[in-house]
Amino acid sequence: MFGIKEQQLDWNSGTSKTITFIVTKDCQLACKYCYLVGKNEKERMPWEVAKSAIDYVLDNENDPDFATEGVIWDFIGGEPFLEIDLIDQICDYIKSELFRRNHHWFNSYRFSFSTNGINYDNEKVQRFIEKNKTHLSIGITIDGTRRKHDLNRVYKGTEKGSYDDVVRNIPLWLKQFPNASTKVTISSADIPYISESVLHLFELGIGQVNINCVFEDVWADGDDILFEDQLVKLADVIIDRSLYKEFACSFFAEHIGKPMDCKLRNQNWCGSGKMLAVDAVGNFYPCTRFAQYSLRDKEAWIIGNIHDGIDKNKLRPFLTLDRCTQSNPECIDCEVAEGCAWCQGENYDAAKTHTVFQRATAICKMHKARVRANNYYWNKLYRKLELEGKREEFEKTHPNVKPEIC
Amino acid sequence: MKPYLQYLVILLDDTSVAYCHANNPLTKRNLMPIDTLKKAILFGMKQNLMIQYVYPDYELPAEYNEVIESIDHVKIGKDVQVLNEVPKAVITDNLVLRLTIADFIAHQYDLAALLPQVKRLNICLTDMESFTDAQQENYKKALAALNAVLANLYKSQQQPQVNILTDRLTLTEMHNCEAGIGNITVAPNGKFYLCPAFYYDEKMGISNRMNHKAKDASRSIGDLDNGLEIPNKHLLYLDHAPLCRICDAYHCNRCIWLNDRLTWDSNTPSHQQCVIAHLERNAARDLQQQLKEAGLQAGDEIKEINYLDPFDVKETW
Amino acid sequence: MKKLVGQVTPEEKNEIQTLFERRNGLNELAKILTADNAELYEKLVKDMGETGTKFQNWWNTMAKKYNWEGCENGNWEINFDTCEIYLVDGTCSCKK
Repeated sequence: MFGIKEQQLDWNSGTSKTITFIVTKDCQLACKYCYLVGKNEKERMPWEVAKSAIDYVLDNENDPDFATEGVIWDFIGGEPFLEIDLIDQICDYIKSELFRRNHHWFNSYRFSFSTNGINYDNEKVQRFIEKNKTHLSIGITIDGTRRKHDLNRVYKGTEKGSYDDVVRNIPLWLKQFPNASTKVTISSADIPYISESVLHLFELGIGQVNINCVFEDVWADGDDILFEDQLVKLADVIIDRSLYKEFACSFFAEHIGKPMDCKLRNQNWCGSGKMLAVDAVGNFYPCTRFAQYSLRDKEAWIIGNIHDGIDKNKLRPFLTLDRCTQSNPECIDCEVAEGCAWCQGENYDAAKTHTVFQRATAICKMHKARVRANNYYWNKLYRKLELEGKREEFEKTHPNVKPEIC
Repeated sequence: MKPYLQYLVILLDDTSVAYCHANNPLTKRNLMPIDTLKKAILFGMKQNLMIQYVYPDYELPAEYNEVIESIDHVKIGKDVQVLNEVPKAVITDNLVLRLTIADFIAHQYDLAALLPQVKRLNICLTDMESFTDAQQENYKKALAALNAVLANLYKSQQQPQVNILTDRLTLTEMHNCEAGIGNITVAPNGKFYLCPAFYYDEKMGISNRMNHKAKDASRSIGDLDNGLEIPNKHLLYLDHAPLCRICDAYHCNRCIWLNDRLTWDSNTPSHQQCVIAHLERNAARDLQQQLKEAGLQAGDEIKEINYLDPFDVKETW
Repeated sequence: MKKLVGQVTPEEKNEIQTLFERRNGLNELAKILTADNAELYEKLVKDMGETGTKFQNWWNTMAKKYNWEGCENGNWEINFDTCEIYLVDGTCSCKK
């Protein structure tokens, strides 16, 4: 195989239904960029609600919305591992029920977690991991160097950073999940630390760093230039030190930065509506980003509940969304459109009316800066490969990896 | 051609007659102040809009008549008769009948008997949101009953129009309600609304969505002093409605208010809206075949399709 | 050490991947089911036997069909992403 690490896609990406349990709205941290504006200690999911949600989903095996090949049972918070006892009970029930019902998902399921990593070495968490080892996907969020991480990821009620409590768990995590990746979030204040942070994560042994700018309208004048500088700096190090052979950073992706055709490339970016989220009181959402605790200005987009089921009318806008209908003319005609992401929840929250058809564009200048740096990266890498006589081999062997969608 | 603003609907009173899908829940009289009425007319004149006054069921003060008559107009509730039950006989050529689906089905033969008496019959179903798939067969049969009479009338050179059956015969593109883009409504408070239903909702404090926050509770889209301001206006146009732009149920009302209420997005129709429109479309196709067999002109061929809700075949778009 | 010895079709890969997933699922279910839940426990034991047999049959059938290189104490492995078959062993001659 040719020596460039390809970016990994999520397990069964595109062929699985994601069902998210918002098990708690509590978290040890109060990250400054967190979009969850309504976190609290009270809304913890009772077992009865979780059980009813599972029963509803499994009772409707023949519903086209649940007819996917596989399923990802996703657990989110707040911090999900604060509710490890509940999660353990939920997962045991799911396994037994899938088997008892001869449900086709028994042959294709995962339990997925996004955690802040603080409790990762907790005995109960570790026991859970041991018990479900072959069906787990766990992402620990670490933002990079201590100063970058601690700039945003601070303990609730204090300004104390959480870096030390997370980084100590990284070796154990990587031992248990060698191919694990981390998710890094960039907001305005931490742009100067991007390069050092990605390199630090590589040094920790994390092979894939998924990184994205927040979608909210937080960007100051000049942020795009700073951002581009950081990415160019990062590109230089990755290429000069040949780090691309073992590590991948999602900022650099070969396919991005091209114009897109409205007929041939009109699919929605986001998977909201194809997913299902359930909260502590048993309400269903098209994605967790439509639950009230995620929304600044709009009301929750509740599509049903565990008692009455899903109101399919409320899903129709999501399932008919396409790229061009929700984009403004500038985005449609954009010459570097490919790879420009959006979050349907943020679109809804920022929209002028109650709609998911208005694309938020706060990220525009950051995407354009990313594209410039990305072009620099690939041009530099191609030249290097050319000079090393490896370009042809690369062109022949590298797979055409499509962008990971939300 | 894209629709453009042509009609100004003026609700003369809070209790003005409901003439479309939405019932008017307002029972307390609240007459539009005469100065507001004058401003509304002036707005209509300057924007070159056809005025449609919507009347309450009581006599207006005499001074209003002079103002009302100062411009070309249509009187809904007077020139256009609006009824909420099937009459034995009609007194105008142009009748709006607002019926529940159950009433439409129950009175299908009474309706058929009215057809020779009207030039145009507009049927508005007032409870589309509660239409169930189990009602499909009966609705289809009721449409067929009207079709049988219509076919005979057409063969004998009478050509009454029934919105849900004959409009589709002559349409070659979408012709929908066009609230906000073809017409707007001004209410007694001097504010603009996409249609009267949005005004009723605001007055009743009824939100289209659960737990509405105050920030979003106002349904107005401007006022007579400051003009029209329709946020996300482009989403009202057909090209921004993914389900509708590929659809050929051209006569469908594509009711923005129902969309907003049932799917929470103004450009997305509900399952009910689509199924009802397609049952009507298919009935129009049957009528077309009958007329063509009789050697009559009946518009461009309406093709046979195997779905009632375009959403169900979206994978094939 | 690993040595590439062949490749199966995507359909064949899907077959073994499903069995692989099922086997893992059964093993993890076995950790929480006890004989107290007699009905489910019995179903599990039966299924583990059947899935194990199907799993082995797949390898036997494919090995015969494709005539892969093998060796004593060696194992074949499949890469689910590429459908490639590898011979894996620390002692046999294939690695030399």
